[in-house]
Amino acid sequence: MLPEITREEVCYACGTEPVTVNKTGEWRFLTPRRAESLSPCRQGCLLDGEIPAWMEAVKRERWDEAWQVMSRYNPFPALTGYVCFHPCTEECNRSQLDQEIEIPAVERAIGQWRLDNYSPKIKPQSFKGTVAVVGSGPAGMSCAFYLNSGGYDVSVFEREKAAGGMFALGIPEYRLPRRVLKSELTLLEDEGIKFITGCNIGKDISLAELYADFDEVFLAPGAWKSRIAGIKGEKNEGVWSALDFLKLYNSGERLKIADPVIVIGGGNAAIDSARSALRLDGVTHVTLIYRRSRAEMPAGQVEVEAAEHEGVELICNALPREINAEAGAVSSMILDHCRTDREGLFIDQSCAFNKSCGTVIMALGQEKDYSIFDNLESPAALFAGGDLVTGPATVPEAIHAGRIAAKAIMARIEGLPEPELFKAEQGAVKFEDLNLAAKGTLKLQNKQAAPFAEASRCLGCGTCNSCGICYMFCPDLAVDMVDGRYELNMDYCKGCGICFRECPSRALVMEGGR
Amino acid sequence: MRIEEMNLVPEMMYAGHNACPGCGAALAVRYLTKALGTNLAVVLTASCWSIITGMPPLTALKCPILHCPFPSAGSVGSGVRRGLNAKGMTDTTVVVLAGDGGTFDIGLQALSGAAQRNEDYIFVCYDNEAYMNTGMQTSSATPFGARTNTAPYPLFKEGQKKDIMQIMAAHSIPYAATATVAFPEDMEQKLKKAQEIRGFRFIHILSPCPPGWGTESADTIHLSRLAVSTGFFPLYEIINGVSWKLTCKPEGKRTPLKDYLEGQRRFKQMEDIRVEALQEEVDHDWESLMEKVETSEG
Repeated sequence: MLPEITREEVCYACGTEPVTVNKTGEWRFLTPRRAESLSPCRQGCLLDGEIPAWMEAVKRERWDEAWQVMSRYNPFPALTGYVCFHPCTEECNRSQLDQEIEIPAVERAIGQWRLDNYSPKIKPQSFKGTVAVVGSGPAGMSCAFYLNSGGYDVSVFEREKAAGGMFALGIPEYRLPRRVLKSELTLLEDEGIKFITGCNIGKDISLAELYADFDEVFLAPGAWKSRIAGIKGEKNEGVWSALDFLKLYNSGERLKIADPVIVIGGGNAAIDSARSALRLDGVTHVTLIYRRSRAEMPAGQVEVEAAEHEGVELICNALPREINAEAGAVSSMILDHCRTDREGLFIDQSCAFNKSCGTVIMALGQEKDYSIFDNLESPAALFAGGDLVTGPATVPEAIHAGRIAAKAIMARIEGLPEPELFKAEQGAVKFEDLNLAAKGTLKLQNKQAAPFAEASRCLGCGTCNSCGICYMFCPDLAVDMVDGRYELNMDYCKGCGICFRECPSRALVMEGGR
Repeated sequence: MRIEEMNLVPEMMYAGHNACPGCGAALAVRYLTKALGTNLAVVLTASCWSIITGMPPLTALKCPILHCPFPSAGSVGSGVRRGLNAKGMTDTTVVVLAGDGGTFDIGLQALSGAAQRNEDYIFVCYDNEAYMNTGMQTSSATPFGARTNTAPYPLFKEGQKKDIMQIMAAHSIPYAATATVAFPEDMEQKLKKAQEIRGFRFIHILSPCPPGWGTESADTIHLSRLAVSTGFFPLYEIINGVSWKLTCKPEGKRTPLKDYLEGQRRFKQMEDIRVEALQEEVDHDWESLMEKVETSEG
């Protein structure tokens, strides 16, 4: 509450009474109500993250609060800050004013704060249940995190030597520094999550055994089966699948491949392979071949541009016909021109061309591998997520699946109803809805140091960030300050609507009646 | 952030006062009392605020209020000041609160006398541009073209709004300033500055009046902001009657006056020729103000 002058301080000897006895709220025929609405960044976010809320916390240098808000939807901001392609920034309303907010920078800063300021929590005496997580990639890590915070004993099984799944083996170092992943995994271990690496479920232990030993099992082994082209010569030495190549490259082993390199494909794995290959000793020339036009590449445009900038040669509208080999090793490749339109792919075999190569990396996409379910009698409940379910998808989608699975598993073990998920019911706040004139009154101080500078630029669309405009402009003193938040006081609100009209972020609505 | 610090200043006004929804005058006095602090005596002439503060024994302010007759605001303020001085209470700030009627018309002679004697208090005029309390009759503060209850359709207010700031400047008082409710920070700074100065100080506050102007109650701040950005009500201060300074310069070009007039029922059905005339008047006043500002700076 506000510091209020008490009766003792004000002289009422003459018998004067404050007007507070008049409950002017009775005059009202329109009522303002706080109703936070969807921000475009949250609408774009694959994790449903409450972006304006943690932006606000960073702006006020409340790091702990920022982490609390962040971890409700994203437990690994340090990782997603690097690897997510951030559709949130594309939707940002600020882009209509000057430039969109650099959301990943702030996200990384929160992640780094968490890694720097972490202290292990007190281990619980007893657990609510035991859960096995198969796969330690984004989905498995996320599920383990939420189960662990919910008081469960979690064991994560990983078939490779190192934990991290796609984070560790699929994404190259230049996109995600390994020290960040290492800190994140150490942190999870400190929290009490057990990582069992080098254990292939289905071979070393059967899935049925897991179901017998644990209360619930979450399956997130990913989609690690590479698609094959089915062209002549692809069995030769020097032909790699992108996943095998990236796995070996990212495991830190010294890798030697012959120059020049041809990468086939247009997805993120193709770009990652091309850029990684260029970083190897002895490789001077990398060519990327894609069957459609450049604009149709599934890889992020930023990634494509970065690859070109680094010197990767791009050949679009070309399709490999066959791979030639000399003495068992790849020597060249015959390519056809092709074009695609609505009716399909047209191969023009009249003007094939030859390209010499020492290595071919096939990045034609991955497939879901259901062999894990072999010999499994149907369990009472099956929880699965990540690439196994969706096919090759993105890191945030996998993290999202892990979170939802964790909530569902906890609800099942505790016998609670299924958890309600965030659902965007209305459209996002539009730029025109924001009251930027009131923003001028706020005179946002742009501190120069990042990440405050970025966070301060956030317009907070649809989110009450306690800016104080409603309090400032209320003629009837019908807005109270309660613990730094502003609450509408219906005893005195006359329903003039100034707060609604002036709210810079559209976090209020006016409703008919009292 | 500045606005958050301002919100932490204790309120000197109570909720539950009798102002209409969206009242600019209530807001103006709320900022005023917050800025001037607790050691304050208010002299209140007949105006909307006589009603807003409530019938005795009720009061809306946490400081003493002395109600006085309509034409006497200037003189009663002088008396209160001298009385307080005689008691040794020289640090108490005396504020005379009057509407536009009590300043521009009925109270003008007492105001002029007090200003000429350079009495040591702050005279605050909250200007809602007509006698709103008694039923929206035309005052000399009503702008050209506006309809009031004494100039209903097809009549309209003829003659331009009295330039009270020039009158006050002509009295060579130490400090005079304009302010409005959409710029609380600016208003607070001016009041704080006025409080530091001794002698006669005059603050002219434009306070939109939803029932009198015929506007949506939610638009009070919006209109107040438009009044500044159109140049209809520029924010400036005058020191010693000679040094003019603009405190809020509109960014880029001034907004067309039409934007401000639209949505106000008092300007409804105003012929284009009159809108143009009013725009010309505003342009002229703006240019002459700019001239004064430039001469003072140069």
